[in-house]
Amino acid sequence: MATLDHPELRESLNILLKNSRPRLERVLKNFEIPPEDAEDILQDAQLTLLYKWDKIRSPESWLIGTVKKKCIMYWRKRRGSLCEAVDTAILDLLAVPQAPDQEKAELTCDLNRVLSRLSTRCRSLLKLRYGLGYGPTEVAEQMGYRTSSIRKVTNRCLAALTRQLLAVGFDKEPVEGEPSDG
Amino acid sequence: MDKHPDPVLLARLGRGQLSRRQSQRIVRHLMAGCEECRQLTIRLLPPESPSRHGEEGNPRDYSGSFSRAWQRVEQRQHALAAEHAEAPELMRGLLSQPYEQQLSLVTLSVRYRTWALCGLLLDAARERGFQDPVEAVELSRIAVEMATRLDHAHYGEERVHDLAARAWAALGNAQRIVSDFRSAEKSFAQAERLLKKGTGDPLEKAQVLLLKSSLCGNQQRFREAFRLLDRVVAIGRKLDDPPLCGKAMIIRGFLLGVANDPEAAIRHLREGISQVDPASDPRLLVAAQHNLTLFLAESGRYREAMQLLESARPLYQRVGDRMSLLRLRWLEGKIAIALGHLKEAEDLLEGVRKEFVEMEIGFDAALLSLDLAHIYTLQGRSAEMRRLAEEMLPIFKSRDIHREALAALLVFQKAAEMERVTLGLIRDVSGYLKESRATSLARSRESR
Repeated sequence: MATLDHPELRESLNILLKNSRPRLERVLKNFEIPPEDAEDILQDAQLTLLYKWDKIRSPESWLIGTVKKKCIMYWRKRRGSLCEAVDTAILDLLAVPQAPDQEKAELTCDLNRVLSRLSTRCRSLLKLRYGLGYGPTEVAEQMGYRTSSIRKVTNRCLAALTRQLLAVGFDKEPVEGEPSDG
Repeated sequence: MDKHPDPVLLARLGRGQLSRRQSQRIVRHLMAGCEECRQLTIRLLPPESPSRHGEEGNPRDYSGSFSRAWQRVEQRQHALAAEHAEAPELMRGLLSQPYEQQLSLVTLSVRYRTWALCGLLLDAARERGFQDPVEAVELSRIAVEMATRLDHAHYGEERVHDLAARAWAALGNAQRIVSDFRSAEKSFAQAERLLKKGTGDPLEKAQVLLLKSSLCGNQQRFREAFRLLDRVVAIGRKLDDPPLCGKAMIIRGFLLGVANDPEAAIRHLREGISQVDPASDPRLLVAAQHNLTLFLAESGRYREAMQLLESARPLYQRVGDRMSLLRLRWLEGKIAIALGHLKEAEDLLEGVRKEFVEMEIGFDAALLSLDLAHIYTLQGRSAEMRRLAEEMLPIFKSRDIHREALAALLVFQKAAEMERVTLGLIRDVSGYLKESRATSLARSRESR
């Protein structure tokens, strides 16, 4: 393998990227990465490859594995910020002090409809959070979770709620595979 | 129902880029059950496996992403090539200075803080580990100082953390070689902390785990060492990297030998040797062949050991570093004892012992002294035995050696004075020295 200051490095990298491109495209497509974000993922993985060129024995396998991992991290980060935005929005909606009664009633009705599609555990947890305004410690106490694990459970339930709102809709059966335990 | 939100705003919701007011409006709209918007928002969530559209059904075109990413990589490649061209000269300049001055240069001058130079330092530290472990500690310490000061904006924060982790692991390894296990543990802990902040590159993790497993082995924490090596093998298989698996096999083989399972050690070493690349890692191959020969000899398979040693001799000469050649002579001395060539064995071992003492590798010097004691016992040379026993104590006192180990040596010294040293006693003291080092470390960890 050419070393970093070797004139053949550019050529080696070029060949590697040309050969691995179909597989990389497949990874990006499977993970449904938007092209504008794919550029960041590819660039970051390729730069790391460049810096570690003389340490990596199978550059193609390494590159594909790294891009896959970055795709997973990409969605994990995106889902995290989306769930946070949905959660904050619901808390804000419920906190509006002077909303007309009818608006409040409609909001409660719609929220209950969404929650009814979730697993019993998530429904109970989110009802305490949104309906009674409980903080994480109180939710943990009420539901018998350890304080240290309540954040993880809440995040899973928020992910289920967000998926219900954004992807599943209300005409279908409840989401399978939602968290059923802590 | 409200009018539908702008698709651009929906996309920004997915990135958490909206104001709270905008998010509220959109979430409220979705709560009312808008199927039309759901067709758009479904894309804001990660796909379920396999892809919602299948490979053919996803119309996204990534050609622009590939070409723009490549442009940026090409630019960086030119900059890195320039760094690499300059690094050897900088390295010579740096190493021509006294150690304190080297540290100052790295701390104060941006010129001495580059990725390429840090890489060269780490390569040099690895090389010196075989020849001059004390210098290897200094080199890796400089590499640590350099890596922690590299420009995050230029190299990328996560990549810098990876390199810093590599530097701390190199320092930990050098500290292990000079038997400073407590500092080595701290260095590896720091390396692992940095890895968590790094790119998540499994190869980087594997390298740290490999070095750490050797430390665990030296401390006789074999179970932990084997667990780390299993993780390395798993990474090697996933990355299609047989030499990485081979390295893990070789270390496992070595540790199995230390743990008194020479047959398993021989099996693992043979398998590991078949997987490593001799051209890219001749030192590792020498070390592996060396240990294989040693375990064959210790199992009484002297003929195989001699054959292997002869076939590996050109490799020892080619690698040619001081430590490898010293260990070769030590091994020849041990085999010579076993074959009854005591004069030849004594000459070899005396020479090696002298060099170990000069290099301040106290523990190995003391262990080797016990091989010499073996010869004196066989020949009934009590005067030499007493002299040897007297010389061993100061070597041990000069290092961080547990007092129980010193007590064992005192027992040995007393026995030498009374002319009552037996081969059984030598074996016991040798075994006890190795064990007491591990025990004292375990105790010091508990007390922290």
